[in-house]
Amino acid sequence: MSFAHLHVASAYSTHYGVTLPDALVEQAAAQGASFLAVTDRDGLYGAVKHVRACVAAGIRPGLGAELAVHDEEYRPLGRVVVLAHGNTTGRGYAALCRAVSAAHSTDRDAVRIMAARSATAHAAAHAGAAAAGPSISRARLADLAGLASLTVLLGPDSDVGLAIGRRDNTDAAVRLAHWQRALPAEAVVLEIVCHLAESGTVGSVTPATRMLALAENAGLPAVLSNAVRYGTPEEAVTADLADAARYLLPLAELETPQTNGQAWLKPAGAMRQVARMVVDAGLHDAGALERLLRDTEQLADRCSLDPEHDIGLGRPRMPEARIIGVTGDPVAELWRRATSGIADLYSASGSRAVEAAHAQLAHEMKTVEHLGFASYFLTVSRVADIIRGMGIRIQARGSGVGSVLNYALHTSSVDPIANGLLFERFLSPERQTLPDIDIDVESARRHDIYREVFRAFGSDRVSLMSMTNAYRGRGAVRDAGLALGLPDAQINVIAKQMWRFNARDFRRALEEKPELAALATEVRESQQLDQLVDLTAKLDRLPRHISVHPCGVILSDASLLDRTPVQASGMGLPMSQYDKHDMDPMGLIKLDILGVRMQSAMAHAVDEHHRLTGESIDLDRVPLDDAKTFELIRSTRTLGIFQIESPGQMELVGKLQPEVFNDLTVEISLFRPGPMKNNMPLKYLQARHGEVMPDYIHPRFEPILRETNGVVIFHEQVMRLFDELTGCGLGKADVFRRHLGKPEQLPQIEEYLRERALARGFSEKVIDQVWTVLAGFGSFGFAKAHGAAFALPTYQSAWLKTHHPAAFLAGLLTHDPGMWPKDLIVAEARVLGVPVLPLDVQSSALDYRVEDLADGSQGIRLALPELVGSTEAERARIVRHQPFGSLQDFRDRVHPRRRTFEALARVGALDTFIGYDRTRRHELLAHIQSLRGTAVSIRADQLAFEVELPVPRYSGDRAGAITSLELRGRTQTDLELLDLNLAIGTHQMTRFHALFKELGVTPASELGTLPGGTEVLLAGVRRATNTPPMRGGRRVVFISLDDGTGPVANVVFFHDAQERVGGQVFQTNYMLVRGRTRRSGARGVSVTGENLWNLFDVARQVKERHAVERAAAEEAASAAAYAAELAAHPSTSRAGGTLHHLSAAQSA
Amino acid sequence: MPHIIDAPVDVELSPDGDPRAFIWNRFEHTVIGQPQAVFRRTRWWENEGTPTRIDTELWRLDASRGGEEQHRYDLRRGTDGSWVLALDWG
Repeated sequence: MSFAHLHVASAYSTHYGVTLPDALVEQAAAQGASFLAVTDRDGLYGAVKHVRACVAAGIRPGLGAELAVHDEEYRPLGRVVVLAHGNTTGRGYAALCRAVSAAHSTDRDAVRIMAARSATAHAAAHAGAAAAGPSISRARLADLAGLASLTVLLGPDSDVGLAIGRRDNTDAAVRLAHWQRALPAEAVVLEIVCHLAESGTVGSVTPATRMLALAENAGLPAVLSNAVRYGTPEEAVTADLADAARYLLPLAELETPQTNGQAWLKPAGAMRQVARMVVDAGLHDAGALERLLRDTEQLADRCSLDPEHDIGLGRPRMPEARIIGVTGDPVAELWRRATSGIADLYSASGSRAVEAAHAQLAHEMKTVEHLGFASYFLTVSRVADIIRGMGIRIQARGSGVGSVLNYALHTSSVDPIANGLLFERFLSPERQTLPDIDIDVESARRHDIYREVFRAFGSDRVSLMSMTNAYRGRGAVRDAGLALGLPDAQINVIAKQMWRFNARDFRRALEEKPELAALATEVRESQQLDQLVDLTAKLDRLPRHISVHPCGVILSDASLLDRTPVQASGMGLPMSQYDKHDMDPMGLIKLDILGVRMQSAMAHAVDEHHRLTGESIDLDRVPLDDAKTFELIRSTRTLGIFQIESPGQMELVGKLQPEVFNDLTVEISLFRPGPMKNNMPLKYLQARHGEVMPDYIHPRFEPILRETNGVVIFHEQVMRLFDELTGCGLGKADVFRRHLGKPEQLPQIEEYLRERALARGFSEKVIDQVWTVLAGFGSFGFAKAHGAAFALPTYQSAWLKTHHPAAFLAGLLTHDPGMWPKDLIVAEARVLGVPVLPLDVQSSALDYRVEDLADGSQGIRLALPELVGSTEAERARIVRHQPFGSLQDFRDRVHPRRRTFEALARVGALDTFIGYDRTRRHELLAHIQSLRGTAVSIRADQLAFEVELPVPRYSGDRAGAITSLELRGRTQTDLELLDLNLAIGTHQMTRFHALFKELGVTPASELGTLPGGTEVLLAGVRRATNTPPMRGGRRVVFISLDDGTGPVANVVFFHDAQERVGGQVFQTNYMLVRGRTRRSGARGVSVTGENLWNLFDVARQVKERHAVERAAAEEAASAAAYAAELAAHPSTSRAGGTLHHLSAAQSA
Repeated sequence: MPHIIDAPVDVELSPDGDPRAFIWNRFEHTVIGQPQAVFRRTRWWENEGTPTRIDTELWRLDASRGGEEQHRYDLRRGTDGSWVLALDWG
């Protein structure tokens, strides 16, 4: 006995279903089912995962969607299940895709308005939630259901079912008749759902048996479903949480909580029991029970989809040749373009290089032809051409960089031959998945590119890709807290602590993490918090919502919208409901066009240089061996440089001391979780600096391992080793490499390798050694292709920082590409002798601009968008009307809002109108504040005030001038932090410098001069916190402190120190730290933190002590005694008296 | 008015999973007609701990002891599969 479930929401019905498709299929198969449909709400979000799971489990998949429907006057008709028919060569599935897309493209406002006006209160309440979402018109649904493509199930949530629920059988019959008239014959089926709820409530047998009677009277088939929301009864709790999250209400306040916990994937026996109870509860004929079950089975047969013929699983579809500008054979065209590309790129390097490139091309083309991917390469190259044609910087990334073909087509700009990259890491006959080429572009132009690609290929062939965002700790605890009705403030406090561990391990984290000790105590004392911990774990990793993927663009032929449902993305362009895991199985070509801010920053630098000098820099042609650039990198002053600016990278760069381009590739590849955990950096550094001899194991491995001094770092090296050992070829070698990460595969690989290697003349001993290395490598390491592709912008940005610091820093400040906050970049500019110039309405632009200064040096002018609270329209007007002759002129042409006007005056952006005499700014501000007038609406909907604005004479009698107290006692830094969130005049830490001196704090700039093991005090503002993966698994916390004297000081807190310091290690932002210096390599130095204090507490205590001291000094009698005490506790030593004082205060 | 019984009982099930008879006070009570299952939800968040089920399984059925007059009963099944005779409706 088996039962076919036709109405099942998977966890991809976010905030509704709670079981993942794999689990549902596995359960159904275990229950003996031969069919399972997934019908997610408003879409096919879980469809591909479902179909693949069904194929794996050997059962037939069905697909559908639960959709809201409205009539021709936008009146809601409730929700129905739309099921695709199988064995229609894809017609059913295509109609389903189109129906879902149609539901998402409906004018929602119209539906919402009609839902609000809906006749009955009950329907309004029910339809209200649905109407806010997508809805399809019945007429459109009827069109799509034609040619026997779809079945529409009218269940309890349809208008017919809702009428039954109201006990209005007449209305139900009328509504059903409407459906029958509107839709093709046989498309309408009634759906019987019974959750064995108490009589009189939703889901009881009474409405179910009435629905069955309605079907009998109308002569329509009825099917039984369980409107499934979860696999097992245990998951009903999670569905309760999903309801609370969907309605944004605590469980206790839900108007329609699920009626009970019976919406699970019941096995055949239980479903038959339900059917029996439904039939027994009404007056049905003798065959009713068997008929209901048989009709259900028959509909399942009709809706069984053939993964290949109906859904097109596994069949790639490229854009049509004419779309990519090819008239003849794509293969011939590819040959032609690649050959001419090689002539262009390699001829300068001599005939041997050209020959080698041609040989490699021939090798690659063989594979491309064999796999039939010629159109794919032409498509990607076409997109790259489009982007370049727009004048946008482009850089390929990923394993595709290993292909000469991509290089020759100008898709990639890294020479794979010179860098020793392998095509087989990217594509080989052994690699069955679609190839993946990633393209990095200027982030600021990404949306322009998408629009252009849509235009060039046609919107029926292109879609953005979506991504599924899953619950993580914070979201999970917030929604669990909401469900329990915990106060927002309390949830916020807990949510702030939900990081750096998985929410599903919440309970264990409470036991283990020192910074959670206080929360753990609360949990032990509160029943609600105890529940919160369990519920948070239940939500963790469930899909939460979908959003547009940051870079995925799907390119296909004109059948795209028959194969994927789309909905509008935030930026307006259509987005597929399928995510990246669905691309390859669905044969959808995905191109990653990723916006990289560094590319925008570099483009900005190049533009600025051109604007000022007329010179054009072609970054892609900058020589890769510039000595000064490497000198800068070796100095570890890498702040702002792509990929190597983090504290950990700074440290590694200092140790590694790169000298050539390949060193950068190695450096970037070493700084990855896998190599770090495997201790590769240390092994490599020891060999590099001659502390140990490089161990090549066997002379035949030396050519493979020489570039990394005998340490296996790159995937490419592993592949070459396999090939050398076994002669298996590089394609097969890549298969072995990927299998190294699967422990169960290792014995098989080892056996093969040993046998072949022996035959190829390697000794047992060598094989033992090399196998240990390979097996230990696992899936770690990094593709050199990735590393080299990252190293190029790393080098380019370092080159810019070395030779054009002002333009480069202007680019960084405008596009903010890195991990550091802007004021640290401002500090770096100060150190590099590039002043950041204050905001000025005469010269500040919408971005940071370089200005030539009178002394021949260059400065960077602060950009207008930094002014907090100013509007885009105001800024645009300032830029359009620059320069201004007077304050009156400025007001008349810009019409700023009062708030903006005053802020501009406060920070000094209007100082131009008082002859840059800062001391008179208070007069200017007072004058502006004294202006009165009526708010008037002007262009671009801005408010301005219409008043006379005589420019005051600021010369002459200043005693009679008015003043504004707003500036009194405030430094320029205070004002800048207030209105710009950015101190550019002086560093915000400057005000603490006297305190630092008194405490004996070591400036960050001087850390490098101290020997290792020196006890120091450091202070500053926290700029970054990192918890990189560490060998041994114990968490290490890196804090980067900025005291305004130079680059950041990096403090590392190990486990013992974290226990001492507790939550402060993450919570305190202004801090004083005691620790010891730790030298790393020639230039690198960091500090091992031992304790930390809140800097404001310290400042307060010192101030109090000063007060005490002053009072004491005034009392002559006690002065002598105090002097004696001072003598006993000198406070001038490095970690002197104040600190003891502090320790005492802390322990107290 | 129903009597509250709340006594553990042994229940015999039919092949379909419906209660067919139960033994209460050493006497077998035979179910007459189609028993009806009802799942009643709980407000679990008001209680301690996180539940494995959010509803309680109740069976309302008519049964008689030997040839005696039939009564209406409510049987409750726990999550562990054990049965309790909850109510005797008379």
